[in-house]
Amino acid sequence: MDINTIHPTDTEVELVLHGRFDAHETEAFRAEVDTEMASGHHHLRVNLAAVEFVDSSALAELVRGMKRCRELGGDLILVQPSDPVRVILELTKLMSAFEIV
Amino acid sequence: MTDLAANNSSLDYYRRWATTPITERPRISVVIPAYNEEWRILPTIGAIATHISSLDVPWELIVADDGSTDSTAELVEELDLVNLKLLTTPTNGGKGSAVRRGVLAAQGELVLFADADQSTPIEQIESLIARIDEGDDVVVASRAAEGADVANKSLSRKVFSAGLSMIVRGIFRIPVADTQCGFKLFTAEAADLLFRRQLIDEFSFDLEVLYLAGKLDLKTSEVPVTWIDAPGSKVDAAKVAVEFLRDLAIIRWNDARGRYDGVNHPAVAITGPRVVPQR
Repeated sequence: MDINTIHPTDTEVELVLHGRFDAHETEAFRAEVDTEMASGHHHLRVNLAAVEFVDSSALAELVRGMKRCRELGGDLILVQPSDPVRVILELTKLMSAFEIV
Repeated sequence: MTDLAANNSSLDYYRRWATTPITERPRISVVIPAYNEEWRILPTIGAIATHISSLDVPWELIVADDGSTDSTAELVEELDLVNLKLLTTPTNGGKGSAVRRGVLAAQGELVLFADADQSTPIEQIESLIARIDEGDDVVVASRAAEGADVANKSLSRKVFSAGLSMIVRGIFRIPVADTQCGFKLFTAEAADLLFRRQLIDEFSFDLEVLYLAGKLDLKTSEVPVTWIDAPGSKVDAAKVAVEFLRDLAIIRWNDARGRYDGVNHPAVAITGPRVVPQR
């Protein structure tokens, strides 16, 4: 999986993921999230438009990131999840846990 | 193409499949054997359901639970997907027995069995279907065929696979380099011929099925696939290697005794209930 971090503005951060987000990728994702949070960015957008599959480890990592952001007054928002990712979020009953745009 | 317009997304096709019972024979049956897969089964079902639905053909999904002691069966049952059948059994009978129950319950013109870990991404089914359309009876996803892309496979599994391949091709005369990849497609006729005969309930059932395919002169081919090792694999390479060698001998012994000359299992017809306890 590729992770491309973009900063549309000084306060906005979007992690654009591409590929398969599974247990092999959670460490890199966590490192990216932690780096941004350490820089004071607590409002993270995670773009999932080009992610074809997320496994349970990836879902757990997204939930972890979301909870950490919210604890600090921010949020982790999912952006344009692909159709399979959206279905997986539905089946795991996580659609309502996230803000999805 | 059905009444859903060409511009609809795979999400639209999925929603229709999830809520509208199919009324005709499935073009495809997908069988997922599952043993204690509560951590992996839902994402796998989501990926498979989204992709196969997007092919816009009638299809069914069969989860053959193998006596799981975790919440795998409950999670699947709660999904309430109208074209999903859950087969349950009170005891753990082995992967081969779970696949057999699922395949013999399948009603599709084509029957795919796919492992619950989504190691072989479901998007690759089209390349297997293309081979069936060209006249093959059995098409095997292969991590060893030229052009395959294998990611994150451990050294022990690489050594194990290479050893198996050498034994299978050199000694057993099965012309398939990768007998164990959990992604195989059969015509309904081939599936019936093979799975009503095969006897092995454990890991080596793939090998037995391919041996029988050769014995029955079924046209079998391999398709290179992308394969990503899924963490948490239940395969113990050393233990399985011993079982594999034992099962090689059992298969030859069964054949010599004529145990594959006729069917060993009855056909199973399931048309009604979505949850079918089997013993």
